[in-house]
Amino acid sequence: MSDKIRVSIDPDLEDLIPGFLNNRRQDVVQIRALLQAGDYAKIRLLGHSMKGAGGGYGFDPITDYGDEIEEAALKQDAATIEAFVSRLEDYLARVEPVFV
Amino acid sequence: MTTDSPGLPAQDDPVGAVLLVDDDPDMLKLMSAWLRGAGFSIQTAGSGSDALSKIAISRPDIVVTDLFMEGMDGMALLKEIHAGNPLLPVIMLSGQAQIPDAVQATHLGTSAFLTKPIAKERLIAEVSAQVSAVLDRKRRHGTFGAGIVFRSGIMQELLEQAEMVAQSDITVFISGETGTGKEVLARAIHDASPRAAHAFIGVNCGAIPEQLLESELFGHEKGAFTGANNRHEGLFMAANDGTMFLDEIGDMPLGLQVKMLRVLQDLQVRPVGATRSVAVNTRIISATHNKLEELVRDGEFREDLYYRLNVVPLHMPGLAERREDIPLLLEYFLGLHATRHNARRKRFDAEALEYLIAAGWPGNVRQLANTVELCATLTKGGVIAVAMAQRALREKPGRIQPLKDARDAFERRYLISVMRVANGNVATAARIAGRNRTEFYKLLGIHGIEVASFRSDATPDEPE
Repeated sequence: MSDKIRVSIDPDLEDLIPGFLNNRRQDVVQIRALLQAGDYAKIRLLGHSMKGAGGGYGFDPITDYGDEIEEAALKQDAATIEAFVSRLEDYLARVEPVFV
Repeated sequence: MTTDSPGLPAQDDPVGAVLLVDDDPDMLKLMSAWLRGAGFSIQTAGSGSDALSKIAISRPDIVVTDLFMEGMDGMALLKEIHAGNPLLPVIMLSGQAQIPDAVQATHLGTSAFLTKPIAKERLIAEVSAQVSAVLDRKRRHGTFGAGIVFRSGIMQELLEQAEMVAQSDITVFISGETGTGKEVLARAIHDASPRAAHAFIGVNCGAIPEQLLESELFGHEKGAFTGANNRHEGLFMAANDGTMFLDEIGDMPLGLQVKMLRVLQDLQVRPVGATRSVAVNTRIISATHNKLEELVRDGEFREDLYYRLNVVPLHMPGLAERREDIPLLLEYFLGLHATRHNARRKRFDAEALEYLIAAGWPGNVRQLANTVELCATLTKGGVIAVAMAQRALREKPGRIQPLKDARDAFERRYLISVMRVANGNVATAARIAGRNRTEFYKLLGIHGIEVASFRSDATPDEPE
């Protein structure tokens, strides 16, 4: 599963995209650490932010994963959170923005 | 807190100034990029409290806020914003898309409710629509109250509200200290109303004896009382199709208040000595420097009339509440003096200006106008010095205290109050004040407050 995922992005956002994707990579690390600490409230907030911003930047899957992570955090469902964090991690590794 | 642009005051910025509020920096960057691309001036705030500070300073045309934020959430922010300025449009964003949130937000007065992830076109369309309405109102506002001199936010908000009510026939009640310009505001409302072509009649209810006031307001028939040799139409009829401004309504005698109620309820007046009422179509704007609620409580003003008059309350701020307007007002009245006397325009020197800005102004704009007139008349040269300003103000002006002095005075008053409540028991007083006993003793010592004086009937002197 190493194929690149090409995503068309608004050229006006070109300067912002590297920072946005980098922040999501940090979210992956942070959510795993928060899972260890059992801090579901904080995980929920991170999922909520992802859900809100992902689609706006043009990355719909980030919104979807954020939604799942937020919901799972509400239920304190660690397995689901880990599953979607892994999917997010994979997506971030493969996504390739194309500014058109 | 993030600041992406200096955020010019709204009135200087024809494209519209937007304040974005979100605790997610990525959302702020995204919305900033979109809206800046659409030509708006953008300011951002990372929290509700940050947003409130920015609103107070830069007065944006619109606020776009996230609902779900740590600390003060979007709903609490909306309430705070509208407590200060009910006309400022607020667009609420929510990632949760919950119907109850949207319903509550609508009830609280949000202009729009958008769900995240938001689409660029939708956000731009909503912001454009709201800003366009605001800018239209501001353009119209260029003519509203043209004679009112101000640059303060408090006056801007007041005039925006006044302009909105001008268009309707709604009854307006203006509160404010003597000399603040309540009649000027009432006239501005009349001039911007559909009644502008008809009469604006102002009456000071406190300056006319009761018997005369009744006949002045409602008119009288020939022979209605001794000396009534002719029929008198009355001011309500004279203001038919126009506006009647009743100043110092709190001084209106109780007997006349019943008649006033009838005018408001039935739109009819009955002249003194007449057997039939006459229909009138007069808009009522009333004003008082009294606290009308207190007069109602004391039985001196009818509660039903109070509610009839107080449909839209507007508060004319005292000059001390709008000190940023003082330099403009001084300039305005100096210009007026020069024109009236066909003389060279004079100016205040820097020290005089500083003195006047900090003065107490218990008589408000009226006192300022008189002060300028006196200074300009008595100054031979072109520059008015501080000594002249001091002389013109005559009474010792209430200067703004330095913060430390004000804080010290408050602390001393507070300590005395707490000690009184605690009947001189320091442990109890310290507990009430939320301090430990040692700290509390120290505070008493700093202010020279004698504990013993609270243990008998004796009490220390009140601070100045």
